[in-house]
Amino acid sequence: MLVNCSKQNGVGVVLVSKALTAATVDSFRSQLSSWQEAEREVKNFVVDLKQVDFMDSAGLGSLIAVLKRISERGGDMKIANLQKKPRMVFEITRAYKVFEIYETVEDAIRAFD
Amino acid sequence: MIAVFNTSSLCDWAKLMGDTPWPLLPVANRPLLDYWLETCGHLGIETVHLVLGEDAKQIEDFAGSGKRWNLTIQYTFARPSERMVDYLKSISNHWQNGLFYIGGPFFMRRRQDFISAGFQALEACRHDFEGEPLFLYGTSATEVKDLLEGTSGESCGLEQVHVHPLVIGGIEAYYALNMKMASGECSRYVTAGFSGSDGSSIGYNVQTPPSSHLQPPILVGDDCHFGAMTTIGPHAVVAKHVIVDSYSELTECLILADTYIGRNLEIRKKIVSGNRLIDPFDGTVVEIDDSWLVARNRPEMRSEDFMRYVILWFVALALALIQVVPYLIFSPLILVTKIAGFTRVQFHDPRTGYITLPVFHKRSNRKSMIYRLFIGLSLDRFPLVLQVLRGKIFLCGQPPMQHPQDDGIIKQLPRYYPGVFCYRDYNRDSDMLVDALWYAHARSLFEDIKILIKAVVSRFISAGRQ
Repeated sequence: MLVNCSKQNGVGVVLVSKALTAATVDSFRSQLSSWQEAEREVKNFVVDLKQVDFMDSAGLGSLIAVLKRISERGGDMKIANLQKKPRMVFEITRAYKVFEIYETVEDAIRAFD
Repeated sequence: MIAVFNTSSLCDWAKLMGDTPWPLLPVANRPLLDYWLETCGHLGIETVHLVLGEDAKQIEDFAGSGKRWNLTIQYTFARPSERMVDYLKSISNHWQNGLFYIGGPFFMRRRQDFISAGFQALEACRHDFEGEPLFLYGTSATEVKDLLEGTSGESCGLEQVHVHPLVIGGIEAYYALNMKMASGECSRYVTAGFSGSDGSSIGYNVQTPPSSHLQPPILVGDDCHFGAMTTIGPHAVVAKHVIVDSYSELTECLILADTYIGRNLEIRKKIVSGNRLIDPFDGTVVEIDDSWLVARNRPEMRSEDFMRYVILWFVALALALIQVVPYLIFSPLILVTKIAGFTRVQFHDPRTGYITLPVFHKRSNRKSMIYRLFIGLSLDRFPLVLQVLRGKIFLCGQPPMQHPQDDGIIKQLPRYYPGVFCYRDYNRDSDMLVDALWYAHARSLFEDIKILIKAVVSRFISAGRQ
């Protein structure tokens, strides 16, 4: 499984376990959508990128698409544990202006309070 | 006096930036080796021994015979088992009148009071890095011998002539040096009169739409292409053959040659080398190769090129079948009226070196409906389309380069795809070299079809103005 979803304090925590690239975004989207369908009451999400060591434009695009979908449902999405290499991609694409980025999942969950 | 430059030593940090050997890594868009060879001129040196390692070919291709610097360059290969000091001792017969030696990534950073003539006053000196001599300078056999033995060279060294002996010990030092050059020091390395008062310099064939914003001080190399609403600088060093797409912003960064920067990116305090994004402060490297982000602007696409070639061969066949009847009708009329005709011109060919192709020329200045129709229906290209069917040229591609007029351009094109139709068929103001570089980057089946349609339509519409 590329995506491992769990619920902490009513917030959906999405642990991504591989590089987010054109090759993996489809499974990322479909696995996350399935979980969202099953857990409809969950509005807010934290995407844990602890295990993501690379991301390309497709991966970034999928995160933006997910953020848009969650926002449309009245929720919010935050990012935690962003590693150095994906962070550089976030920097050059100005994605850090779009997402709220936290050092840990706990910090991100607390930010919803 | 002779100079010996050791390019065989290992330099791990330079490998982070790709395949360019460290002596050819650019400092303010000039290879490090170029500065050393230029200094030989200031020191009155005529002969240089270049000690080569595993990157021998690239270094030899760059330095050549040394004629460009008024030098004679002799090449030798380093023996892995031999220390450089021992090698220098073994060639003592060559340095009886003095030795100028550089043995690693070393930059002679000119201070504000530096003058080239100052080198004449330089005394014997030695600068070491990690216990090994990186720089040696002695004007007699005795001085050099003492320097090699380590028994002299305790003077203030290069500082005596207002040169800071800078060892480029890591990627951060390399980045910092480039930023210092971009912020104004670069002017100390160019002849007076060629330096911008704001510390900026910009190369040849740089295309900047009116909405691009260049903030000095910047250094921009040759053949760069910036999209609309792009901001470059301050303190940006952009090397040759770099394409920056629209809305991107480059500040405090070093972009090495052959790099493509995608749309709407912000490159700040980074080095980008082809598809590599590098943080100079901690050495983190991300290899991306994503044309939405950063990529090499000359990617290897052999299988795509082959598929494109096959599909376009059939398109050329269809075009030839459409054109053959009108051509057989109009061609004799053109010949009879003597208004125009074909001449054979020699062009560069990517495989065989040269190829002779028929080029249509107007011979008479009078107006002619037949001539307009001939051009409007692109029948003047019919013989070239037949060459496509014979596999000699491409249907769409770069403008075929004539020999010898375009020899200078062809040298700058690592990939050459001479095509029947090209950008200049619908954009008369385009620059041949920039177009050729852009095509090499953007080539695809879609791009070729776009060129074909635009060229044919544009030629048809503009034929009335012939």
